[in-house]
Amino acid sequence: MERTAILHSDSAEGKRLVSSIAMIVVLVSFSMLFASLFLGYSYFRITSPVWPPMGMDKVELFYPTLSTFAIVLSSMTFMIFRAKYFGGGDVKKTLPWLLGTIALGLGFMYTQFSLWADLKSKGFYASSGVFQSLVYSFTWIHAAHIVIALLALAYLIPVTMKKECTITEENKVNNVGKFWHFLDVIWLLMYFIIFVI
Amino acid sequence: MAFYEQHIHPKPTTFISKYIFSYDHKVIGKQFLWYGILGLGLGGIMALMIRWALAFPGEAFPLIGQFMFPETGGVIPPDTYAMLFTMHGTIMIFYAITPILIGAFGNFCIPLMIGCRDMAFPLMNMLSFWLAVLSAVLLVGSLFTPLGAAAGGWTAYPTLSTLIGSPGVGQTLWAVAIFVLGISSTMGAINYITTVITLRAPGMGYFDMPLTIWGLWLTAILNAIFLPVLGAGGLLLVFDRVFGTQFFLAGAAATSGTGDPVLFQHVFWIFGHPEVYILILPAWGIVSDILSFFSRKPAFGAKATALSMTSITILSTLVYGHHMYTTQMSPLLTQTFMTLTMTISIPSAIFFANWLGTIWKGSIKFDTPMLFSLGVVFVFGLGGLTGLYLGTVTTDLYLHDTYFVVGHFHYTMAASVLFGSFAAIYFWMPKMFGKMLNETWGKIHFWLTMLGLNGVFFGMLFVGYAGMHRRLYDPFVYDFLQKLVPINTFITWSAILMGLSQIIFVVNFVYVVFWGKEETDPNPWKVGTLEWTIPSPAPHYNFDQIPVVKCGPHELGNPNLTTDRDFQYQTEELVEA
Repeated sequence: MERTAILHSDSAEGKRLVSSIAMIVVLVSFSMLFASLFLGYSYFRITSPVWPPMGMDKVELFYPTLSTFAIVLSSMTFMIFRAKYFGGGDVKKTLPWLLGTIALGLGFMYTQFSLWADLKSKGFYASSGVFQSLVYSFTWIHAAHIVIALLALAYLIPVTMKKECTITEENKVNNVGKFWHFLDVIWLLMYFIIFVI
Repeated sequence: MAFYEQHIHPKPTTFISKYIFSYDHKVIGKQFLWYGILGLGLGGIMALMIRWALAFPGEAFPLIGQFMFPETGGVIPPDTYAMLFTMHGTIMIFYAITPILIGAFGNFCIPLMIGCRDMAFPLMNMLSFWLAVLSAVLLVGSLFTPLGAAAGGWTAYPTLSTLIGSPGVGQTLWAVAIFVLGISSTMGAINYITTVITLRAPGMGYFDMPLTIWGLWLTAILNAIFLPVLGAGGLLLVFDRVFGTQFFLAGAAATSGTGDPVLFQHVFWIFGHPEVYILILPAWGIVSDILSFFSRKPAFGAKATALSMTSITILSTLVYGHHMYTTQMSPLLTQTFMTLTMTISIPSAIFFANWLGTIWKGSIKFDTPMLFSLGVVFVFGLGGLTGLYLGTVTTDLYLHDTYFVVGHFHYTMAASVLFGSFAAIYFWMPKMFGKMLNETWGKIHFWLTMLGLNGVFFGMLFVGYAGMHRRLYDPFVYDFLQKLVPINTFITWSAILMGLSQIIFVVNFVYVVFWGKEETDPNPWKVGTLEWTIPSPAPHYNFDQIPVVKCGPHELGNPNLTTDRDFQYQTEELVEA
């Protein structure tokens, strides 16, 4: 067998594969982190005759719903950004969508802070019981990931402003996007499992 | 198949880029090796202190005791004793065995043995090492906090590990250190998995990979999936301790809405059971290869070995409940876990038989790596068989939390893994540093370690069977344990022998690395895997030209060899009869 014949003549295709394989492993790892949290949640939920326990009221849905809107919209704007960026659109047309995604992400963080402030004002503290602990810890851990993802999105700004789009830039945009959508999906799960049902 | 041409970093020129922040997988491997050997030393001294307290209660620890515990005149105090066994377990598992087998040999062997120039993500590899260093700093730093380091056992069960059980900063730092180390190992795992999938040399199918790579790859998969589970448990523990959440605080969850300590045990062992396979799988792989190389015979049933390791990997994720038989689990669950646990003995027996089949009628060369590998066969056999008694509910209810457990997991996790590491160090030393370790001293090191180690761990099985519980500061305050003083003294003397014989290794290793003479033969062990086709020490970027693989890794003693050697390089064509 000739060596050159076996190595992919198109190195870009190989790099794309490597990058997406690695990203699958990354997302599996992060999924296991959140899956463990949900395991803890179901452990408490199943063993408790009433939920929320101790006669607690459920969390008001106003802020969580706002967060849901913000993050779902941000995923959509990111998809538009990605389509335009790979479509070869110029910076003036693509960058606003990326900035919009970041703004919606910041909006998500704002609604999270409002949620925490609101809960605190109602005497809903992390230390008052396991239900409160669950609500706070889940949102904290998710928000910490959102902060990292926002930094990654900000990192895409200079990438987008570059003239050429090689496989390196393509992988960066795709991977940050996958991570952002992943956090969106996690939030949706949290929204339904912790806040709605 | 190699998916793409790797980007080649220029050869580093400065000291910092060459030895400190290196992208080179070989240098990172060596960094992990030194890191792990330091961890072994630290954890080993702690082990000796534990043994001292058990054999000579109330006597001052020799040499350093006076400096460390001046207020008690050199006697190890009870709270320090709890810290010692906690830190001993943590350091040995996460800061000695993990960096040596997975960090050092994972990094060093994977690219060399699959025929590529470096890991898929060299930068992430470097970050992985420096995060591990940060984590070690956090852990060792916790020893110097006002109330001392974590003292809740390496399993950190609440309520021992909540603020009620250990009020100091030490336990928090422990959890943070483990979390950081988890990130570091996950980064390594992402790298290993991707590298093995995408960068195998052309012609190398999965079953042409050496079994070492199989072991390391399966380990990486388990790491990537289960370390985040420990991370989540650790995070919640930190939240409990720092932000006052209530996950693991005692209370009846069903009625009062407070937390439950047993939840941590679930999370811990969902990670913890795969973790023991994370530690042992690379050793199994290395031993499978070395047994074949030094018996001058193809590994018997290499494919079956690889597949049984894979099935153990899968089964290991399903059996964690056998650590928790005494937590009032439903009998239905305990029996399920018992059955699944027993199932693991099937694949284990398969590859164990394959090991014996490999050395059967081989022309065995008793070089040091082979001695250590045969040692693994022996101690792993013992460790595995004692595991059956712990996996069975009825016997475990009696043996739970006794020294029998300690003996069992030291035979599997400490003895087998330690011997596997030594085999690997002696075997790959010429490729890593271009120098051979002294064979005579290596053999002395092996026999003394073998004697000491079996004295320690077999003795532990005895005292455990007699009912001595682990983690007791002074077991002999109980009447029924007083008869065990002599055997505990024997264990301690064995431990001292084992500890002292490691000095032989350290001196041998350090002397050879810095002042040893160069080994001129690039293939001193006469084996055919890819790393032995290049000069020693492996040059920058390993292979001048990416090799094309033509045959499996163990073509030793094959009747159809085309050369006058008794082995075939993986790059050579094998003529069919």
